[in-house]
Amino acid sequence: MVEENRADKSFPHVDGGFNFENFKRNVSFMNSDSGIKGTMPKAWKTGTTIVGVVFDGGVALAADTRATGNVIVDKNCEKIHYIAPNIYCCGAGTAADTEMTVSSISILQEPLRDTHDTGQISSQLELLRLNTAKSSRVVTAMTMLKRHLFNYQGHVSAALVLGGVDATGPHLYTVYPHGSTDKLPYVTMGSGSLAAMSVFETSYKDNLTEQEAIDLVAEAIKAGIFNDLGSGSNVDVCIITKDKVDMKRNFITPNDQGPLRASISKPATFGYFPPGTTKVVSTDIETFATVTTDVEMLEA
Amino acid sequence: MTGKNCVAIASDTRMGAQALTVATNQERVFKMNNKTLLGLSGLISDVYTVKQKLDMQVNMYKLRENRDMKPSVFNNMLSSFLYARRFGPYFIEPIVAGLEGPDNKPFISGQDLLGASVFTDDFVVAGTSESELFGTCESFYKPDLEPEELFETIAQCMLAAVDRDCLAGWGGVVHILTPDEHIVKHLKGRHD
Amino acid sequence: MGDGAYSFSLTTFSPTGKLLQIEHALNAVNKRGKTSLGICATNGVVLATSKKVASLVDLTNFQKVNNVTDSIGMVYAGMGPDFRLLLKRARKQAQTYFRQYQDPVPTEQLTRMTAQIMQEFTQQGGVRPFGVSLLIAGFDDDGPQLYQADPSGAFFGWKATAIGQDFVNAKTFLEKRFSDDMELEDAIHTALLTMREGFEGEMTEHNIEIGIIDESRKFRVLTPAEVRDYLDETE
Repeated sequence: MVEENRADKSFPHVDGGFNFENFKRNVSFMNSDSGIKGTMPKAWKTGTTIVGVVFDGGVALAADTRATGNVIVDKNCEKIHYIAPNIYCCGAGTAADTEMTVSSISILQEPLRDTHDTGQISSQLELLRLNTAKSSRVVTAMTMLKRHLFNYQGHVSAALVLGGVDATGPHLYTVYPHGSTDKLPYVTMGSGSLAAMSVFETSYKDNLTEQEAIDLVAEAIKAGIFNDLGSGSNVDVCIITKDKVDMKRNFITPNDQGPLRASISKPATFGYFPPGTTKVVSTDIETFATVTTDVEMLEA
Repeated sequence: MTGKNCVAIASDTRMGAQALTVATNQERVFKMNNKTLLGLSGLISDVYTVKQKLDMQVNMYKLRENRDMKPSVFNNMLSSFLYARRFGPYFIEPIVAGLEGPDNKPFISGQDLLGASVFTDDFVVAGTSESELFGTCESFYKPDLEPEELFETIAQCMLAAVDRDCLAGWGGVVHILTPDEHIVKHLKGRHD
Repeated sequence: MGDGAYSFSLTTFSPTGKLLQIEHALNAVNKRGKTSLGICATNGVVLATSKKVASLVDLTNFQKVNNVTDSIGMVYAGMGPDFRLLLKRARKQAQTYFRQYQDPVPTEQLTRMTAQIMQEFTQQGGVRPFGVSLLIAGFDDDGPQLYQADPSGAFFGWKATAIGQDFVNAKTFLEKRFSDDMELEDAIHTALLTMREGFEGEMTEHNIEIGIIDESRKFRVLTPAEVRDYLDETE
């Protein structure tokens, strides 16, 4: 068969399976006493406070926006990921795992019953929607996620808060890195989960209105931002109701340093390096050929 | 770092095995196409391997689709590439800088070794001097700099930062990408 | 020795240089397939197809025009089951592309990939070619586009084209009616007029199916009520 149609070998996960070509090499690096281990880059974590609550007619999700490596690598990252038009998911844990597993790029092949086929949950769900012409259910997304995570025995370190509204009403789940799940009216996850849960345990009541739910989740995230070192910056909120999703990116920005920085008076010359400040040894300039966009059609 | 219709990546030129300096002319910033620059810090053998594999992908994409890969698409492809090796990663931290779309909007992003991206509209940093670089860039970055001004700012941020990192330095290089030019400037820096 | 002797094998050329099985597959499309057509307008693309079936067939779940992605639609002439397989493969290819680049697959690329599958089925052991031609409509950075893919794996871009039983007449009609500055609404009417040319019996919202894509880059199949409205307008 013609090779090209097969998934590219550089992207095996697109068609199924991770690539382990460097695995043995990396193990020997880690075991060597050359000291190389200490200088290796480190995977980013989301740190994170993520929460969700069910209210009358919908689900409210919320997250902080800090990502950490050796330092804070992102002060305003997005942790509420798209899964389906009616389902969203907050992620905590290793940044790459939460992002890839849930939304953006991909995970692996994992046949869901006999349907198919491909990776990434949102992608699997889209295919399922196209092939069945029905909107996705939260329980389907939850099952796909837990199967994936259980399959990897906790090595894919994603802790998730999954929420959505489908034909059977609003649903809210937590999915743990090892693949266990809970279905609860209010949930928290991540390093700030205790701080956030303390807010829920104090203020949660049944049959919240939408506005009460928004206020409650925002308060819970703020508890994480201010009391958990791994969480910080802003509050993102996502409200999912029967026929609408309202993504409130940076709903509250309690740590905006903009005004403070602007108020510090600096001399106009501060941070201005006039041309020639830096000693240059050599300069190479490549000028791109200008491409003319007007192409005349030749008569056949 | 982003400027007005331009982006730049700066890097030092030291290559070493821990405290031993092996080379002082190490290039690790590459032009992937006329709209995209790639900076790779980390294990130098992986820098080369990844660069070559990505070159192939970028060239194949161009042949297949008869168009240049956009910086954002390149970033996403790199991200899938790295995450495919989730359990046996390449030890690199990439930075992508480019000009996006017909109006050459600056695009920059950074990733960790597993392919998690961070997108900003001012600057991204990576490598051993990461924390020092955050300090200098936070202080000196200004939006909408012209290419010449951007060069001075990014060069000064980088030089000041690596002088506080014993694993980096030994000269530097700045790549600046504008809609019609790719400028490479080698810098004079401390050799101690 | 006639060509007939060479039609036993999919992969054996006849002395005249033809692959007979592929020609037979094309016959399955152009002699037996219900007519489908597409028109690429300045601001969108329309796909239309005839769904004439025996009177007792329940049409409620019979759909010929389908979404491959949000912004690409596909219709066929020929064998329905073959089409379903291609559709499923095309959808998967589109998702694979999206997962790698996080960028929607361009219409031309999707057509190429789908045609590639069709080509593979002309050169492999133990398979037969697909008994379908496809019309693929999309709207991407290169504007509105219409492609046709044949059982041989050949594919072309068109301003307007037709496949299936009545394709010769339909194409002649389209050649007369098509103009470069045609807009989508106009194209929909032209599509219906072209369908009517070779249609036996009355065209209704139940035996005609239409899919459109405009600048919103969302391909969608029109509801029977919308088709009814267009039919009424073209009366």
